[in-house]
Amino acid sequence: MSNLVVAPVVLPLLTGAVLLFAPRRLAWQRGVSIVSALLVVAVGLILVRTAWQGGIQVFQAGNWPAPFGITLVADLTSALLVSATSVAALAVVLFSPYGMGKDREELYYYAGFHFLLVGVHGSFLTGDIFNLFVFFELMLLASYLLVALGGTAVQLRETFKYALINNVASGFFLLGVAWLYRTYGTLNMADLALRVSMSESNGWLSVIAVLFIVVFGVKAAVFPLYGWLPGSYFAGPTPVVAFFGGVLSKVGIYALLRTFTLIFVEDPAFTHRGVLLPLALITMVIGIIGAIAQTDFKRILSFHIISQIGYMLMGIGLLTPLAIAGTIIFVVHQMVVKTVLFLTAGAAEQVTGTTDLRKMSGLLTSHGPLGVLFLIAALALVGIPPLSGFFGKLTLLQAGVEARAFFSVAVALIVGLGTLFSMIKIFRYSFWGEEKGLRLLDKNSPAFRGLLAPIALLVVVSAALGLGAEHVITYTSASAQQLLSGQAYIEAVLGSFVVARSGS
Amino acid sequence: MGFSLHLVVVLPFLLAPAVPFLARRLGPRLGWALVPAPFLITLYLLSVLPVLAEGQVLTASWTWAPSYGLSFALALDSFSLLFALLIAGIGTLVLIYSIFYLDSKEDLSRFYISILLFMGAMLGVVLSDNLLALYMFWEITSISSFLLIGFWHHRTESRDGALKSMLTTVFGGLAMLGGILLLGAAAGTLSLRELGAAAPAVAAHPYYPAIVLLILLGAFTKSAQVPFHLWLPGAMAAPTPVSAYLHSATMVKAGIYLTARMGTVLGGTELWFYIVAGVGMATMLLGSYLAVQQRDLKALLAFSTVSQLGFIIAMFAFGTAAATAAAVLHILNHGIFKGSLFMLVGIVDHQTGTRDIEKLSGLGSKMPFTGTLMFIGALSMAGVPLLSGFVSKEMMLGALLNPPAGPNVFTYALPVLAVLASAFTTLYCLQLTLKLFLGPQGESPLEPAEAGPGLLLPPALLGGFVVLLGIAPALVEHHLIAPATAALTGRPSSVHLALWHGVNPALFMSIVALAGGALLYWQLPRVLPALRRLSSVRINANTIYNALLTGTETGSAKLTRRMMTGNLRDYLFYILAFTALVLIVGLVRVDFGGFTGRWPRLSPVSWSELAAVLVLIAGALTAIVARQRVGIALGVATVGFMVAILWFLWEAPDLALTQTIVETVSIVPLFLAFSYMPRLRDRYVRPRVRKSDVSLAVVIGVLSAAFTYISTGTRLFDSIGHWFVENSYRLAGGRNVVNVILVDFRGFDTLFETTVLALVATAVFTLVRSRRDPGGAVKPESPLMINPVIVPAVSRVLFYLVLVYSLYLFFRGHHNPGGGFAAGVMAASAVIIWALAFERTAAMKLVPVHPRYIIGTGLLVIVGVGLSAVALGYPFLTQAFGSFHVPVAGEIELASATLFDLGVLLVVFGAIHWLVAAMSDGIALEQEHIREYRARGVYHLRKGRL
Repeated sequence: MSNLVVAPVVLPLLTGAVLLFAPRRLAWQRGVSIVSALLVVAVGLILVRTAWQGGIQVFQAGNWPAPFGITLVADLTSALLVSATSVAALAVVLFSPYGMGKDREELYYYAGFHFLLVGVHGSFLTGDIFNLFVFFELMLLASYLLVALGGTAVQLRETFKYALINNVASGFFLLGVAWLYRTYGTLNMADLALRVSMSESNGWLSVIAVLFIVVFGVKAAVFPLYGWLPGSYFAGPTPVVAFFGGVLSKVGIYALLRTFTLIFVEDPAFTHRGVLLPLALITMVIGIIGAIAQTDFKRILSFHIISQIGYMLMGIGLLTPLAIAGTIIFVVHQMVVKTVLFLTAGAAEQVTGTTDLRKMSGLLTSHGPLGVLFLIAALALVGIPPLSGFFGKLTLLQAGVEARAFFSVAVALIVGLGTLFSMIKIFRYSFWGEEKGLRLLDKNSPAFRGLLAPIALLVVVSAALGLGAEHVITYTSASAQQLLSGQAYIEAVLGSFVVARSGS
Repeated sequence: MGFSLHLVVVLPFLLAPAVPFLARRLGPRLGWALVPAPFLITLYLLSVLPVLAEGQVLTASWTWAPSYGLSFALALDSFSLLFALLIAGIGTLVLIYSIFYLDSKEDLSRFYISILLFMGAMLGVVLSDNLLALYMFWEITSISSFLLIGFWHHRTESRDGALKSMLTTVFGGLAMLGGILLLGAAAGTLSLRELGAAAPAVAAHPYYPAIVLLILLGAFTKSAQVPFHLWLPGAMAAPTPVSAYLHSATMVKAGIYLTARMGTVLGGTELWFYIVAGVGMATMLLGSYLAVQQRDLKALLAFSTVSQLGFIIAMFAFGTAAATAAAVLHILNHGIFKGSLFMLVGIVDHQTGTRDIEKLSGLGSKMPFTGTLMFIGALSMAGVPLLSGFVSKEMMLGALLNPPAGPNVFTYALPVLAVLASAFTTLYCLQLTLKLFLGPQGESPLEPAEAGPGLLLPPALLGGFVVLLGIAPALVEHHLIAPATAALTGRPSSVHLALWHGVNPALFMSIVALAGGALLYWQLPRVLPALRRLSSVRINANTIYNALLTGTETGSAKLTRRMMTGNLRDYLFYILAFTALVLIVGLVRVDFGGFTGRWPRLSPVSWSELAAVLVLIAGALTAIVARQRVGIALGVATVGFMVAILWFLWEAPDLALTQTIVETVSIVPLFLAFSYMPRLRDRYVRPRVRKSDVSLAVVIGVLSAAFTYISTGTRLFDSIGHWFVENSYRLAGGRNVVNVILVDFRGFDTLFETTVLALVATAVFTLVRSRRDPGGAVKPESPLMINPVIVPAVSRVLFYLVLVYSLYLFFRGHHNPGGGFAAGVMAASAVIIWALAFERTAAMKLVPVHPRYIIGTGLLVIVGVGLSAVALGYPFLTQAFGSFHVPVAGEIELASATLFDLGVLLVVFGAIHWLVAAMSDGIALEQEHIREYRARGVYHLRKGRL
């Protein structure tokens, strides 16, 4: 019974509410945002520590016992993802004063951003499937605000598609929750898991499960549900998109990870091996094909999100402890690295005024440090050791070999080459070559340094995740065990209730 | 000892980040500060040479990630030492050479950082005992090679060459990683030293063929073996010190190193023999054949390297002690003579301004030292006696005659191919020497002049070694070659290195090759065109690479354009089609049978329900076919109202009430917005109705209905709902279960749904605000200003009525239908009435503070209620309630939930108010504007005038 669990949700909520009052006092807006982001990082780390030492932490909202009230659960996985999110958020908040533009900052940007954070953290922590829906809605609304911020024609057009497609997914979400509730009579995920384990649904549960694959798949941009992503991520303000690219699409993966290890486990041969794994491979390939086709910094990165989602999905599809650990590592790695890559795109945009690769070149000569940081982040994405991406990939590959899923392993390896190709494309066009295009910021200007600092922060985090790989795999293996056993989760949430019911 | 071994690998990595700082202090003398590092490493390696020669292996290990079987474990035996010496020794010379070669205006620190990274990584490759660590260093060499090839990145050929090398070597690296993982699974270890013991198990394992192919892919790509040889000539775009170092002496030998090491684990099978020998010999022949046709000296050397690497690799197919020893010696020799040759070609380029062999000749008189050294290096490569190359080449040719498999056509062909390739080798060596330095002087851009001592010293030192080893090969026999061979074969080496091996078939082959080469050189004017005609085939590795590259790009672009149409209806189609597909597949999979006999009985449908549903459907259809915005909005609203009626019919008054108010209020902003928009018909071409879309929509609808129907029949457990009914008053002090659920049991949901509403308003405002062009249209007049007398009069009465009703809803909410949400919407609708009756901005004059303050306060109230529980030591959002005795008023029931509900009310009210305001006037939404409006006060409420 710990209020610590709810802190990552309440803190940004409070911040957002406070920031609503004075949108145009930017120093104040930025200051409060940074302080709050730092606090959330601290809370996240404490949460990780607590979950590691003290087991699964449960918070019953309003002091109502599960399954009647709403439960928040910080197990190893959700605590870790909250932490990773908070680090990415901190970097974005630090980046925004230099990378967002004053006009947009004044339009409730920081408030919107913190509300978004509420939704993300809530989604990671909630133990209630309807509450997950609520947090999804919160996240979506905040993201509409943020993507459309600035209101250019292309933003409006893409936000419209983004909003509409996500609303369709929300509709399916409600439908799925209704089916679940009708069948199992509860919304609490632990209770659902318990009831699933106590009954035999004759396959009906798997049918509900595939609907949830659609719902969460849209959020995660899984093939063929990803249509909304490349356009809207291209259109949005770059710092916003950095957080979206790093964190938001991973919420969908997390939701899949949670529900498809806890609830929808009746028929993994169909739901996991039959649907998720093939989807994972197609997503990987189609994403990378999209990336190769692009000639814009942000567009290439956007398609990479899709491709990398495939890797994470592959872990869920394989459903072995190692594979799940691989997915978790990959999610954390992507949160850091995808965010930093978009931030470098943002920095390049601030310097050159464009994200079109054909309109910029020679940044390495004029803005060397940015090139170095980009290259490291790009190599982390490709999965070059000792950076973080390598260990995510290695874990999944080893899991694939163990599970004798050789085809998946081969696809994952080959897609790595495509990833390299398209990242090198960015490097070749924008950083190499004769200096071309505008240079709006000087290499030694405080603004440029301000852009670099959060980028450097995340690059260091990525390297640290690689060098500390043993800690990471130890932790994530334990998370995977926790996810796959399910029992610990159910007992932590329902503990007394289970005892009471079995007694009566 | 352990630490110094790690230092060998780590030192260059530690030095690399310091380079920019050193560069700032030292400027063009930067290189000198770095030379000590490889030199010290060389000295250290030489110091352990005697120990290793006795068969000892130095090991040291740092743990890293044991869960993956990954450790930073190093093992130094004589075979690794041979490579390490080449890396550190030639590295030292290359650093010195580059100081004189590179212009001080170049970006020196970038160059040296990359070189140091490469050096460290390459040492890591040859010293790593752990295969995953080896893989890591392997990839870092590919990256540093990429950076160095692209050093002059303003040149197209540099960028293209860099890309080609990176793609090829990383492709191989990834394959190798796959191989390593399989090998690890098969052998149970990733330690090179432990793998030897597991060799029989690995050879018998079903993964064996895959392991061999994948790992060799890694080795062959790195060592530029056919058909991956094409990246190496492209890599010649790098500055010459790089070519000398990476692309002849060291990095390209990583593949050889790997093949040799893996030969001890994977070798000894026919599969291994045929692949390694076949690819190696094919590479040798093709490389030398292509080398003779090059005009660019560096390209010539590149192909020559390809050819020599192939020859060495082929040796490791044999696995015999003789072949191994020959290869080991040739690795050393090739590193030395090829390193020097590259440096010399660099000097020629530097001093004459061209590398075109057609333009260069007769340099001997102007560049005597360069010429002499070139003769030494090239003739060693050709295998002329008394120079180092002769000994190893002789041994290699001899080894070819004792294949472990066969005899068959393949094994007979090997020596023939080798002799032919060697003849070509002789030919290009003669081109490098006779053509370049003798005869009349050619036309070069710069007047040839001898290079300075700084440039000449490094190749001169290497040339000295060539002569020394040629005359006395036994010098390295005991300390290096024999122990290195023994390290690979696992047996003490019986190889004896000598200048004269007696009259044997190998000597005969050497003579044929030398003579053949000389003959070809004599007939060069006739031979060369013939060869070029032969190789002008349409399809070669290069065209395939280019086709693959552009094909991938254009193919990807085509496919992506096809899928990513940018068309919303396409994206929705994918999503819905996929949904339908998986649902149907799921249904088929459960064989429909899960539901037979359990079809739920439906409750009877009343006429009123049927009517409501029919109107609902009509509303939905209207929204689809309507041709104007108003029609669409009305259609949608009809659906909403009919749902409200259904709630009412199903005895859910709370839901019915809320739904009704929400529908009413949400349609107003739409109408306000429409007045800013052009008519739908003018701007919007109605899209063609696609039959597939229609049928898909029907399928989805039918599926949703069907599954919902099925779910009602598949109730496996009782709902927890009855608990709420039983406990809402007892535990939460409220009789209205819906309200108690909203503000207490699931108040946590409500908190965030409320936040959603706040966000909606904020989002709409930001959207309107950022789109509003300055001086654009503001339409203050009400869209419903139909009758200027009656409407305002009625509205005023309505306004107060609605406000009072809102308060009523709020206070009765905890026990009866109502509550903060409904009350908030109701209060907002009072403001809306005002706006509709008078003017849009009237609403803003009514409410003295900016809506964001209302929303913010509401949120703070809610969070405050939650946090007060925390302050009292309860979980966030724990509600309290109780009866209090208040004098005069008597018993009053108070619940913190009421305060919570007040927060909800504020947010809901503020949000709707803001929505309407934003739709009324996008700019008038700062506090100062509100003050201004109020000051003007045209329709001010208090003053009671119109």
